[in-house]
Amino acid sequence: MVESESREAIIPRVLVTKIGLDGHDRGSRIVAAWLRDSGMEVIYTAPWQKIDTVVKLTQEEDVDVLAVSSLATDHLLIPKLMAALREAGYQHVKVVVGGIVPDADEAILLDSGVSRVFHTGSTKEEVVQRISEFAEEARKAPAVVTFD
Amino acid sequence: MTDKRIDNKHKQWQDDYKKMLPDDKVRSNRSDIKIKPLYTPEDWDSNRYMDDLGFPGQGPMTRGIYPTMHRGQTWSQRQLIGLATPELYNARVKQMIAMGANALSMIPCNSVYRGLDVDEVDPILLGTCGVTVNTVDDMARCLDGIPIDKMSIGLNDPIPFTMLAQVLAHAKNLGAPWKKLTGTSNQSDYISHFVANHMFYRIALKGSRRIQMDQIIFLKEHCPGWNPVSIVGQHMQQAGATPAEAMGLTLSTAIQYAKDCVERGLEPDAFLPRFTFFFDISISFFEEIAKFRAGRRVWARLTKERFGAKDPRSSRFKFHCQTSGVDLTRAQPLNNIARVAIQGMAGIFGGCQSMHTDGYDEALSCPTEEAALISVATQNILKDEAGMTDVIDALGGSYYLETLTNQMEEQIEAIIAKIDEAGGMFEAVENGLVQGIIGESALAFQEKVDSGEHKIVGVNAYQIEDDPSLRKTQPWPDPDVMKRQIELFCRFKEERDQTEVQRALEDLVAAARSDDQNVYEKIVQATISKATQGEIISCLREEFGFGHPLVMA
Amino acid sequence: MAVKKNRPKPWLKRLLNGDRTVLSRAISVLENETNEASAIIRGIYPHLGNAMVVGFTGSPGVGKSTLVNSYIKLLCEKGLQVGVIAVDPSSPLSGGAILGDRIRMAAQEHLRNLFIRSLASRCHVGGLSRATSRVVDVMDAAGMDVIIIETVGAGQSEVEIAEIASTKVVVCAPGMGDDIQAIKAGILEIADILVVNKCDLPLTNHTNRQLKAMLVLREALPDWTTPVLNTSAIDGTGVSELSDAIDEYKGVLAQRNSDGKDKGKKRMLRLLANSVADKVKKDLLETTSLEMDSICDAVLKGELMFNEATNRVIDKLLSHQ
Repeated sequence: MVESESREAIIPRVLVTKIGLDGHDRGSRIVAAWLRDSGMEVIYTAPWQKIDTVVKLTQEEDVDVLAVSSLATDHLLIPKLMAALREAGYQHVKVVVGGIVPDADEAILLDSGVSRVFHTGSTKEEVVQRISEFAEEARKAPAVVTFD
Repeated sequence: MTDKRIDNKHKQWQDDYKKMLPDDKVRSNRSDIKIKPLYTPEDWDSNRYMDDLGFPGQGPMTRGIYPTMHRGQTWSQRQLIGLATPELYNARVKQMIAMGANALSMIPCNSVYRGLDVDEVDPILLGTCGVTVNTVDDMARCLDGIPIDKMSIGLNDPIPFTMLAQVLAHAKNLGAPWKKLTGTSNQSDYISHFVANHMFYRIALKGSRRIQMDQIIFLKEHCPGWNPVSIVGQHMQQAGATPAEAMGLTLSTAIQYAKDCVERGLEPDAFLPRFTFFFDISISFFEEIAKFRAGRRVWARLTKERFGAKDPRSSRFKFHCQTSGVDLTRAQPLNNIARVAIQGMAGIFGGCQSMHTDGYDEALSCPTEEAALISVATQNILKDEAGMTDVIDALGGSYYLETLTNQMEEQIEAIIAKIDEAGGMFEAVENGLVQGIIGESALAFQEKVDSGEHKIVGVNAYQIEDDPSLRKTQPWPDPDVMKRQIELFCRFKEERDQTEVQRALEDLVAAARSDDQNVYEKIVQATISKATQGEIISCLREEFGFGHPLVMA
Repeated sequence: MAVKKNRPKPWLKRLLNGDRTVLSRAISVLENETNEASAIIRGIYPHLGNAMVVGFTGSPGVGKSTLVNSYIKLLCEKGLQVGVIAVDPSSPLSGGAILGDRIRMAAQEHLRNLFIRSLASRCHVGGLSRATSRVVDVMDAAGMDVIIIETVGAGQSEVEIAEIASTKVVVCAPGMGDDIQAIKAGILEIADILVVNKCDLPLTNHTNRQLKAMLVLREALPDWTTPVLNTSAIDGTGVSELSDAIDEYKGVLAQRNSDGKDKGKKRMLRLLANSVADKVKKDLLETTSLEMDSICDAVLKGELMFNEATNRVIDKLLSHQ
């Protein structure tokens, strides 16, 4: 192969999704556009994804970061999502949550393994930079499989 | 007006202004209209009074839809409330009535919006944002002891209107005649749900269209005091449409629904008086007032010109409005009380018929009781202390506001023309045109915030150190209380006459498959027969297709 | 490389057993052409040639994704393993992309025997079809019975990607006059099956006839007549007929390759030809030479015919090697 690259240098892939019941997508649309405009590849879904569907998507699309938008109370499901990802062997994937998350719940989410909660009012710069750092971290994790 | 003195002085002022403020920046509002530093009779002069304004309750309707406006009757204080269980809801409503609320409204749990019963959802999500109302029995407990025939009822009840069916079933059980009920189906606008609030979008477009028309026809005969159609601009503005776009798109939606009614053989003057509107009020104060005044004018004109309405009631632009949660901040949350007050003022000067003011903690969680009480008090302060209802259209005649109203009207008309050209609202949303417009505007606004061009106190300006103690949040519902609600629901399902439920659902399916039966009538009958909302909606999804929004990134 | 036929690598064993984690990561490696790519290509080579590869193409708005959805559902109900490659364009400015094709497939997410992967076009000439072709191979090795390639939007890259598929389905909608013109301009030539979707709309038969008329202009094949089918993805009309036509064409392809020697060689030849053409074009346009200058001059003045000039340029290129 002529064009060899290391895994850390390649284009980050991010899954932007919503789980649970709510369907407001202004936030997730804006974040998806931000990430695209910063050179990332975004897999964007409809709202109301089931937890096992998100795990399946994470697997099939080989994403580095999973960004879940929650504006009502659907973030309450996130600990279950984290457990499902771990069970499927996807602990290297970084999970971030954006939207309206009360302080007490934020602590629970971080405890369950979420890397970061972005509250309303977060800036493009902050969101893009952190997500690209998380993508890089995810790429540095031990490979799920090696091809020899 | 050819007053030489004005010309001379105007010129002199312009020179002075430029000298003192040589690097004055261009300012524009959210609808991208450039705002000048000063407006004068050159922009709008009172010779245009009869063309542009007229008198309240008369064409062109700019100043208000009734001769007396808020002097005669202030707006309905329609605070949306939804607490986890029917009992908690009932207690809160009684408290609000004691505080002077003259209308009641109901927000269901998000699971209800999705058409799911309490036994179909992860219990952790139940009752977190509204009341879990799945059956006629739940509704009876919500409304226990409340004189439903004496209160205007607002239901956040998307198609297929199962909550209204529960209210009708409850009334029937009480022996209260349907003809005496008044209220509004606040969330009947499936187009806005398809475009911008997907949580409310349950049944595929064509099926939603059919059920909406069947409901209008059913209520016209059986419950004529009910407003079946509320066209909702709120979701589109919340999703990012500018105020002018939100108004234009909402009026285009109204045109679509009116055309659909005409196609079903209804006379314009038979249904237009029952159309109501529902808007967001952002903090862009003058722009919002101009939006409402311009919208009123355009609606009055197009009901006559397009639909040949003769009844003056057909041309009245009755609207409910809600202060915008998008403008509220997580940082320094108490500041939101000031924001809501300003948004509320814009609603009043805009001539609203009904208003909901948000709790200051909307950006933190579902509203706490404290925040809900402050938001009601805010309305009372504006109404009773600040003298905001003393004069009808109190800002009318302002050079700025009249110019802005005309400019907003131009933009609104341009949007309507664009949607007309695309074949009407139904087609324009099916192919994603509207979603594209809204997404672009949302991004453009966000860029203004990111660049600091649009300042938000505490977010990109005047930040102070974060004080988490200011963020009180509503505790999540007591799991035991929710468990009891689930048990009640399961017992209700067990104890009902299963064959009757089965028969009622079969009738519903048959109606959905037929061309001439009224689907809504069967929904009401199924509810009376104790079918749950989850059962009814899943039946209709099976027949008409699941409501998948056109998701665009 | 030492031959270790009897001891397949652990990853290969897992891949051949259809392990989704290995498949997914292998796709990333091939798409990015990182260090491990050649190991994968070598490893899977003996296991190729089992999948049927179907490309769906057509302008936006013709209901292609909904149709693909219905077709997927039908295949999955038959118990077949289905792989889908959904290609979306990358932003030419940032290089990023929003891959939204998933959402149109939302209804299918629960199907266990379905594997969907979104690919961004990544704006490099030839690169996309190379990557897509590799992804097809690795899905093939992982046991997919049918691999569907779906692209969004029309254009050159669409034709390029479609060429990877052995069966090419071109989808259009009734009454789209301009659309048919566009199809005629490029994509019609490659169609093995034509579909008029949304056949509940008026003008369906009119469009169907128009397409058939255009096909007459195309050179006839001895073993296949391109059918023009009407479908409605919403209510499922015509979808099983479409599936039958795809299967029938598969039989024709098998006949053409009855000696079993192809194993993707034709596809590789097309990829190479495209890649060579791109490279030669780039070189010609970027380097100045007196000789080329005089050839152009001669063609302009009518001293040299275009065909002769072309041959002369090729000779010149070859003689430089």
